[in-house]
Amino acid sequence: MRKSFIALALLLFASVIGLALGTSDVAEVWQIIFNPFTDTGSLSHQIVWELRGTRIAAAILVGASLGIAGTLAQGSTNNPLAEPTILGTSAGAALGVLLGVLSNLVEIGSVGAVLFAACGALLVTTLVFSLAHSALSLITVGIGVSAIVSALVGLTLTAVNRPDARSISFWTFGSFALVTPSDLLILAPLLLLGSLAAWKLAPHLDLLSLGDAAVRHIGQRPQRIRYQSFIVLSILVAASVSLVGSISFLALAAPHIARYLFGPRNRSVVLNSAIVGALILLVADIASRSVVPPYELPIGLLTSLIGAPILIATLKRGKDVWR
Amino acid sequence: MIEIKDLTVARGKRIVVDNFSATLVPASITAITGPNGCGKSTLAQAIAGDLKYQSGQITIAGRELQTITLEEQAELRSVVEQNRNYWLSFTAREVIAMGQSKANLARMEGVMKRLQIADYADQSVTTLSGGQAQRIDLARALIRDTPIYIFDEPLSAQDSQSKVRVIEEFKAMRSAGKTLIVIAHSDRESLSWCDQIIDFTHH
Repeated sequence: MRKSFIALALLLFASVIGLALGTSDVAEVWQIIFNPFTDTGSLSHQIVWELRGTRIAAAILVGASLGIAGTLAQGSTNNPLAEPTILGTSAGAALGVLLGVLSNLVEIGSVGAVLFAACGALLVTTLVFSLAHSALSLITVGIGVSAIVSALVGLTLTAVNRPDARSISFWTFGSFALVTPSDLLILAPLLLLGSLAAWKLAPHLDLLSLGDAAVRHIGQRPQRIRYQSFIVLSILVAASVSLVGSISFLALAAPHIARYLFGPRNRSVVLNSAIVGALILLVADIASRSVVPPYELPIGLLTSLIGAPILIATLKRGKDVWR
Repeated sequence: MIEIKDLTVARGKRIVVDNFSATLVPASITAITGPNGCGKSTLAQAIAGDLKYQSGQITIAGRELQTITLEEQAELRSVVEQNRNYWLSFTAREVIAMGQSKANLARMEGVMKRLQIADYADQSVTTLSGGQAQRIDLARALIRDTPIYIFDEPLSAQDSQSKVRVIEEFKAMRSAGKTLIVIAHSDRESLSWCDQIIDFTHH
């Protein structure tokens, strides 16, 4: 519990730093941060609280969603390498939104787009799982199907070239540059629902770690637990991907780091990988917009740069390979 | 009472259990022996409800197994599988308790003591020896109260002292009226504690 509070305190600290740093210099930035309700009409106030604040909130919500999504992906497939990018969930979500936008049924940033994304995510994840017949083939099939679906996303974008369908870079590496406050109203309730569902599923995922037969032997249905997890996973990934694009690596790293720090029980992993995921993504976003101002680096590259060393260090220090 | 009649089970195209029949009465221990690959584990999985069979019948308490729901099967039998790989560092105690009812959990401490698990109960299962890990699976089954128990090679990784202990547990279960099926590698002499030995070599 103490470690969770430390992580939460770090998250708060990073949020404050995130308000202070950015592509433009803001005069008396600390005064604006610590007096959020004075001079609310000024440009500086808008930059700090509306632009940066929205990005920070979005990074926290998306990071937490992806952390939980990774926990569900690994727990439901009983595979420490599973994550939404490898299972095809992210690519499926991207293709779903794209098809919805190009057929003029939805716009990016709407609930309808999330729905399209969720359908795509669930379809591709289920396809990958049903084609695989072992832990290893799940990963190889997943990488293969993801590559095909990502290629379809790229080809479609190249062929159509519509600005409202966004760029290949957005769908491949993600970006917080276009996030609006109304996006938060979609992300927050879906994260809340997703975390409650994941919390409920978590003890079943503990049991599933003993294998499908062990679950059946005490009268529960492993496939039911798995598909319920896929649905929650797809919704969480859909919300993130449709608003900020695909952010790789975070969903793989966050649960491993959470397990190393807080133990293997899935309820604890759900809670803590949400905090760890939020923290890594927030730090990555701050770095993306403050390393080489006024340019912005693709967020997905930074999550890999920040998350990968933490993951490697965690696994190296762990007493056994897959904690 | 378990009645197996003309049972045929295939794995893919290969017929592994061919036209097998047997009767297992309550308060008895039946050993199924034979060399590697003869189909003992396949038979155990069919009786456990884990494998569909092509023809023949398995009836438990007068009901055809394939018509019994998963939930009802769980009330009828407990299963110890062969080998288990752990990738998460749960403690032995956590693994035994996973998914168990309150009544089962009440029996947990006693079973852990009798199987000598108490010494490593709070150790991570990823650090245990094969024999220690096997006793955790045994404990998961033994804390349950079902009329039938299916054990796939329950003694394969146990030292002689632990073997004696586990066999004592089996005998006590038989006295309590349970039906035990034990898949074993061993020869006839070392299975003198069983009531019925089915040599599966020729099935």
